[in-house]
Amino acid sequence: MADNKGRLVDLLSKDNVESGAPCETKRLGNYLWDDPPDENKWADCVHCGMCLEACPTYQETGEEQQSPRGRVYLIKAVAEGKIDVNDAFAKPVFDCLDCRACETACPADVQVGGLIEEARGQIRQALPLTGFAGVFSRTVLRGIFPHQNRINTLGGLMRFYQKSGMQQLARKSGVLRIMPTHLKDMEAILPEVGKPVQGRFPDVVPAEGIPKQRVAILTGCIMDVMFSDVNEATIRVLTHNGFEVGLPKRQGCCGALHVHAGERETGKKLAKQNIEAFKEYDKVLVNAAGCGCALQEYPELFKDDPDMLPLAEAFSSKVEDVSKFLYDNDFKRPTAELKTKITYHDACHLAHGQGVRFEPRHILSEIPGVEMVDLPDADRCCGSAGIYNLTHPEMAGKLLDRKIDDIPEQVEMVSMGNPGCMLQIAMGVTKYGRSEKVVHTVQLLDWAYEKEKSATTS
Amino acid sequence: MLFGKDRKATKPDAIIQQLMRIVGQKEVLYLQEDLISYECDGYTMSKGMPKAVVFVNNTKQVSDVVKYLNKQGIPYIARGAGTGLSGGATPLGGEVLISLVRMKKMLHLDLENRKAVVEPGYINLKLTQSISDKGYYYAPDPSSQYACTIGGNVAENSGGAHCLKYGVTTNHILGLEVVLPTGEIIELGEDGVPDRPGYDLLGLLTGSEGTLGIVTKITVKVLKNPEAKKTVLAYFDDIADASQAVSEIIAAGIIPAALEMMDQIAIEGVESAAYPVGHPRDIAAFLLIEVDGVAAGIEDQIDEILTVCKDNQVREVKVARDEAERGLWWANRKMGFGAMGAISPDYLVQDGVIPRTRLPEVLTKIAEISKKYDLRIANIFHAGDGNLHPLILFDARIPGQSERASSAGSACLKVCADVGGSITGEHGVGIEKSDEMRFIFHDDEIEAQTKIRAVFNPDDRLNPGKLFPQPGRCVEVKQEMSKEGL
Repeated sequence: MADNKGRLVDLLSKDNVESGAPCETKRLGNYLWDDPPDENKWADCVHCGMCLEACPTYQETGEEQQSPRGRVYLIKAVAEGKIDVNDAFAKPVFDCLDCRACETACPADVQVGGLIEEARGQIRQALPLTGFAGVFSRTVLRGIFPHQNRINTLGGLMRFYQKSGMQQLARKSGVLRIMPTHLKDMEAILPEVGKPVQGRFPDVVPAEGIPKQRVAILTGCIMDVMFSDVNEATIRVLTHNGFEVGLPKRQGCCGALHVHAGERETGKKLAKQNIEAFKEYDKVLVNAAGCGCALQEYPELFKDDPDMLPLAEAFSSKVEDVSKFLYDNDFKRPTAELKTKITYHDACHLAHGQGVRFEPRHILSEIPGVEMVDLPDADRCCGSAGIYNLTHPEMAGKLLDRKIDDIPEQVEMVSMGNPGCMLQIAMGVTKYGRSEKVVHTVQLLDWAYEKEKSATTS
Repeated sequence: MLFGKDRKATKPDAIIQQLMRIVGQKEVLYLQEDLISYECDGYTMSKGMPKAVVFVNNTKQVSDVVKYLNKQGIPYIARGAGTGLSGGATPLGGEVLISLVRMKKMLHLDLENRKAVVEPGYINLKLTQSISDKGYYYAPDPSSQYACTIGGNVAENSGGAHCLKYGVTTNHILGLEVVLPTGEIIELGEDGVPDRPGYDLLGLLTGSEGTLGIVTKITVKVLKNPEAKKTVLAYFDDIADASQAVSEIIAAGIIPAALEMMDQIAIEGVESAAYPVGHPRDIAAFLLIEVDGVAAGIEDQIDEILTVCKDNQVREVKVARDEAERGLWWANRKMGFGAMGAISPDYLVQDGVIPRTRLPEVLTKIAEISKKYDLRIANIFHAGDGNLHPLILFDARIPGQSERASSAGSACLKVCADVGGSITGEHGVGIEKSDEMRFIFHDDEIEAQTKIRAVFNPDDRLNPGKLFPQPGRCVEVKQEMSKEGL
């Protein structure tokens, strides 16, 4: 163990961020840069087409190159030297939502998500972003997300924007009208920015009663700014269930957005930071499906790094979604009643990415007074997909329309396990003038516990 | 686009521009990168680049596109989801693909008369899903039903696991609207009025593999859900015992809704893939048997099936406890082809038909072929109707393996033809088996069929080079086969 830790420090300090120039590195057909897509992943694909109808972008366009089978074929075609890494190749690869529905549908377990991310890594090295997109990407992905203090500062500014009256002024003055529609829609539903739990809570929050186990939670980057209330609820629910909750200070953004955008080197840096930050813990719980999935897939990032790979594998085996953890650990059944009708939306990175479908539904159904109504096609992507709704507003909008259309009229709440979906669906609910409240699964459980506690104290 | 530059404009040629004028600019793909994924369908042994892919939204557009291509003398192919297994939608090179996937609406549902009218891009499984709450379903269930289109099913006359009792696609088609290679639009079957006088063009068009016309509207039969359904799984140590059980079940007068068999290598595949059931790896084969119908009598049929299995040295036999278990058994079976990806980088599936009683002998010969070509062969088998799917496993990256797989496939079909069977049960002939048509038809018989094609498609411009052997090539194939002693 001591040895391992020594190695870890070594590896983590090793700066292998610089990517080698073409020619010096392993080439694979027309992939000229380090970390090329993994041949074995497409070798599993036999071109059967079972994935086609599972793919939201294929459903919308009917185009083969916008399907998982087509994308895998293109990625393979570059390796075979049939086509180049160019803009026409980049389009379908970047139009993928990364929702992983194809992986659920695939009879041969082809890791389409991993292939897409690897291909994006090549594209970003072959065709670096220029102009506004380049500046945006460098500022946001490299300049802000890796630095929690900068995110918190932004959160503070947003809080100021909301509380100072500026938001009201901006909305009234019509200045927002110059924004693109999808950004305007998003501004309209910005949740009230709370204060991050990091700093407000101690590093270790004690369990209620005799501690059963020590767990850590990923507080997340945006999550802790935009949804600090969900983080608070997570801490309360876990401690109420007898778990001591650690909030390791040095943790950072999970890197999912970077890896999705082809910024694999920043993703690796963040991964190393998190592997280090959580090394004292045996269990890392996550309440954001996208982040949880990213943490579980750290080994994919280090597939060509024999030193880091075992560390990444050991780390990813500790990561679990909070709903699955609560279910597996026989969570306390709340006694207080929440009279409400709800439906549950499967976040892609929970259902397809982590195979967690039953557990959150079970938790909800065990809350007295909660009536569950089925959401048709519950595991079809809502269009949020990380920052897909910012980069591809048209496709994201179509998927959101379908999702809102599917929400049964009679429900009062829509529950889910991912902040990205929460923002997106809240936007849809507002856009269509509907009244459903968008909540995180853990929040509902928290409310039930809190109601129970206040009943006992009064 | 915020991420990634807009693609550089490559100027479309005059033909592409005209196609764009007919269907709309965004409905035509013509860049190499966009076309490359269209160079094959579910059959990957043969590839060809199309000139363009045109997405049509209605019958008139199909007709206009066809008329224009005719005038220009450009060959064209209708394409659905591209899940076909014989290369029916694969270009030879230079054809325009007319994609029908955006024509995917249900136009009319008439449950009282048990029929539905759909566009050709409508997904097979969606039909059942959309009417199951009302107690109805669409019977033909190819394993690709999650993704394949009903238009493609009509072209290939697709079968499926449940065709033993309910028949293949042609038995469920009541009417078609077809765009002929002249661009004319005709209606066949008049929305399901039975026994129309004149030639059975409906039967002719169904299964014509997209060589006689492009189907733009389909009237299908829908059936009432069976009152009861029971599913049996039986493990055998000897293929001959399993085959004997199949024959005895049919001989006993039972017509199961489905009667499927998988051999050891096929089991290895499905157990390594997404829906493992926990089948023992050391059995020689299993049978998956389903009976359905009125509730009374189902138990008797199940008892009889169990008895037959026991009489034939079954190792273990069980009835599905509930819908979840039954669902898993079927998912495991239906994902069978794709599951081969878990144990082999490539596979070639064959589609022979044989008399049921000849199964043990044919399987022995297939094992010999496997040895001869040094390639593993898994067998998935619609045992009840004698439709055999040898899956030849290979790695296209290893030089020579693709060619060996292809020869092994052809040899399997020869065996089927020689015992009095056929070269295709449900996957069609396409590019793949056009030469093997000689195994079952004389020159005169083939000529009679190509003459019919010429009536509809005189210049062979619609899906050219498919279904029938090219004159001249057949002789070489025959020589090759006799040299190899098969």
